[in-house]
Amino acid sequence: MKIGLEIHVQLPTRSKLFCGCSTSGDAPNSSVCPVCLGFPGARPFLNRQALEMGVLIAKFLNCKMSDRVWFARKTYFYPDLPKNFQITQYDSPLGVDGHFMVGEKRVGIWRVHIEEDPGRIRRVGRSGEEVAMVDYDRSGIPLVEIVTAPDMTSPAEARDFLTDLIIELRRLIGVTGEEQTMRVDANVSVGEERVEIKNITGLKNVERGLRSEVTRQTKMLAAKKRIVRETRHFDEERGVTMPGREKEFEEDYGYIGEPDLGTYRIGPLAASMAIPETPLVRAARLSKEWGIAAPAARQIVLTDWALADMFEALAAKVGGEAAMSWTMGPLSSSWKDLREKASELREDIIGIVTAVTSGKMTDSEGRMRISALPSGKEAAAPGEDAGDLDALIVKLVDEHPEVVRDYKGNERAANFLIGQVMKAMKGKYSSKVVAERMKMELEKRL
Amino acid sequence: MIPFPTVDGLQALDERHAVFCERIEDPLALEHGKFHFSAKDNLCARGFQARAGSRILKGYRPPFDATPIRKLREIGGLLIGKTNMDEFGFGTFSTNSGFGIPRNPFDTERCCGGSSGGAAAAASLIPEHLSLGVSTGGSISCPASFCGVIGLTPTYGRVSRWGLIDYGNSLDKVGLLTRTARDLERYLPVISGPDAKDPTSQSQPVLDMRGEVATVAVPAEALVGLSPEVASSFAEAVKELGRNGVKVREVRMPSLRYAIPAYYILATSEASTNLARYCGMRFGVMNHEFDQGFNDFFSETRSEDFGPEAKRRILLGTFSRMVGFRNRYYVKALQVRQLIIREYRKVFESCDAVLTPTMPFIAPRFDEIARMRPLEMYQADFLTVPPNLAGMPHISLPCGYSRGIPIGMQAVAPQWAEGSLVSLARSWEESFHYRFPEVTA
Amino acid sequence: MDRETVSKVAKVARLRLTDEETEQYAADLEDILSAFSVLDEAPAIEEYDLGPIKVEDVLREDVVYRDSDPAELREIMGTKDDWVRGPRLS
Repeated sequence: MKIGLEIHVQLPTRSKLFCGCSTSGDAPNSSVCPVCLGFPGARPFLNRQALEMGVLIAKFLNCKMSDRVWFARKTYFYPDLPKNFQITQYDSPLGVDGHFMVGEKRVGIWRVHIEEDPGRIRRVGRSGEEVAMVDYDRSGIPLVEIVTAPDMTSPAEARDFLTDLIIELRRLIGVTGEEQTMRVDANVSVGEERVEIKNITGLKNVERGLRSEVTRQTKMLAAKKRIVRETRHFDEERGVTMPGREKEFEEDYGYIGEPDLGTYRIGPLAASMAIPETPLVRAARLSKEWGIAAPAARQIVLTDWALADMFEALAAKVGGEAAMSWTMGPLSSSWKDLREKASELREDIIGIVTAVTSGKMTDSEGRMRISALPSGKEAAAPGEDAGDLDALIVKLVDEHPEVVRDYKGNERAANFLIGQVMKAMKGKYSSKVVAERMKMELEKRL
Repeated sequence: MIPFPTVDGLQALDERHAVFCERIEDPLALEHGKFHFSAKDNLCARGFQARAGSRILKGYRPPFDATPIRKLREIGGLLIGKTNMDEFGFGTFSTNSGFGIPRNPFDTERCCGGSSGGAAAAASLIPEHLSLGVSTGGSISCPASFCGVIGLTPTYGRVSRWGLIDYGNSLDKVGLLTRTARDLERYLPVISGPDAKDPTSQSQPVLDMRGEVATVAVPAEALVGLSPEVASSFAEAVKELGRNGVKVREVRMPSLRYAIPAYYILATSEASTNLARYCGMRFGVMNHEFDQGFNDFFSETRSEDFGPEAKRRILLGTFSRMVGFRNRYYVKALQVRQLIIREYRKVFESCDAVLTPTMPFIAPRFDEIARMRPLEMYQADFLTVPPNLAGMPHISLPCGYSRGIPIGMQAVAPQWAEGSLVSLARSWEESFHYRFPEVTA
Repeated sequence: MDRETVSKVAKVARLRLTDEETEQYAADLEDILSAFSVLDEAPAIEEYDLGPIKVEDVLREDVVYRDSDPAELREIMGTKDDWVRGPRLS
């Protein structure tokens, strides 16, 4: 089974690809201008941010970058397309021949380019006879199109690919709205012939659509029926793919260059761009650097970028194993509350965890202190600072050699001194901490 | 009053018409510092329809001013009307308009030339008048020569195309038609300059109005296929230039033979995409038969409201960029354009301008035009197309009269060297007397 | 350039031609394209650009601006309840 995807993701710019209209229109046809409506005499002007985001994505996907690119007119007639041509890239994509790793699986990337979105159609009227009502607020919204090689071998793999891709793009360029707005054309062939499922919206639907199409093709092959090369669409409500409306004829897009825009030297731009570390790249690095399991690293990074920062800070002090169990345990469970003050509490957290791992504090005491951190109580953290506690214990043990003697036979003998300490410290330290420290001091004297 | 034929050539709105006629009778009625101008109908202006000579845009009132119109209005220009033209610029004689045919002010049985025919007629008829024209493949030079006025086509990208209804975006240029070099000196700097609404206007160097034409090159290829009266007038003009101290050299420009096919393929390829938007929705002619399938709906409006030449060029352009033909036609034409630019640059190493007649014949009569095949009409542009394809600035100047009908010569300068063409126009009008049609009151 | 090709091209361009028009355009285009075959003789050069002048890296910053009134544009488009009316989709 071979599956290849064409993915359209909206680039999160403030203004549209070729005009100053806002990308967040509300009422129909409220964010429109002569450019994105294709009025005679209006012309496009490229948004720098959109180009740079596209270049960054292509570079991130390990593409061979073009040195110089231009735009093309793809001509076809449809009510949602104001000029009846779409400005896209044809013979000069931003990059080609890249790849993206989904875990250990390498998925080839054929090309990456940017283009404008058409308007949005509302179908009005009786089924089969609907007329178009069009809102052009979406017209000119910048999209990046990513075309993969047919390297995926199951619907689940395709879903994993998209899940991981979106995770990375979210961090890389701040993609928002991810799963719901992502539009995908999927090519799938169980046997020899390839079928294209057009315009599936949302990640879940991609997997559903692919599963249903795979089942359909498998059944047909089992029944020794021929699969026709065709375009189908996914009926979200019924969960099956249906043949696309038969086109009167094969559309000939007649691509020509867009002469209103000129060319763009993206080679030097791409070379100068540093790719920030993305979540899954970071997870892989954490796993490798600190010897923790890949799923754990992924979970830490995906919970929150700042939680991963915390993990790294802890790991540097206490090692990967301990840092992971503290991060995934007590820190994760209180993270919702800790998150806000994570940077100012950072040293406190490190203090607690190092105290525990160095044996100066019990595990449960450490947990308790961490969960208490966000509320602001127990601001004074034990650990290195517990000098007053240790001094008091030493003093008391010195004064009561009988307790040391009794302790040899019965550990409960310590309780007398623990009580003394608790009274003197007025609850500054928990009984557990005090017991722990007392025990350590007494053991020394044996 | 103005004779009937010129009214045909100018489609001033009714309420503006009175103003217009008044200005013609007494141009000095305008206060000091103000002036009147007209604009070719493919330039958008608030307060006027913009139909670009096409029925498919009937009733369309653009919501903004084209940049050159805005700039002229800002310095006190009064737009008195829009001038008739071949539909979307598709023609050499202004006979392809959806709104009547402008007639030549020198002989009303003859055409004005095209596609800026109305603009040339206005400049020819109205003293002190500035006409904004547009050239894609010679649409300023040709009518200027046929109507006996100066027609300046600036370098591609010199004047913003914001608000210009597209024919071929890589070829379209807004320019000036007028009676005097002084008007060019005044108004070229006004309409020029980078515009934040047209990326292709952003690469220009500052306009330099200095420069001169000391040496001209006459390509041998340009002297073939001329009518006798054009050949002799041009020869006389070249002699006159020589007497004025201009050096004349004969050169060969063999690539010019590829200019016509390369131009028509590029222009129609781009035009056929530009015209896709006219489909009965959003602007211009509206189709209200919503119960048709969209293909029928679009086809209906387009078939009814595009004229025959527009359809011909849409067909040629659509074909030239289709799978299987694209490389042979469209891509090859792009390459040939570079070839021709190189050839010009080589010639400009040793001279300041390339000089040819503007058109191979004088303004033809309408009955002669009716007998021409489309290909013959296209080939009539063989002198005006090359500089347009190469984006080189060029000027057509009146250089002779054959039985009273004007003949023009065309000088082509290197890209961005409009200044030398304006200086040529200034010195030429000192030695050659221009004639203008009489407007009878 | 035969009638069949002209019909196909016309369909792509959403033009409905009568038989006479098809015939006429086929003849015209045949005439034109055979003259244009001189292009095949032009020396091949690799380099080409989209226009006659160099227009490179002309970009605008990602700033929202509005210099036209959407209400006026909707009026020109003849909207119904702010939606642009279009034809049947099938």
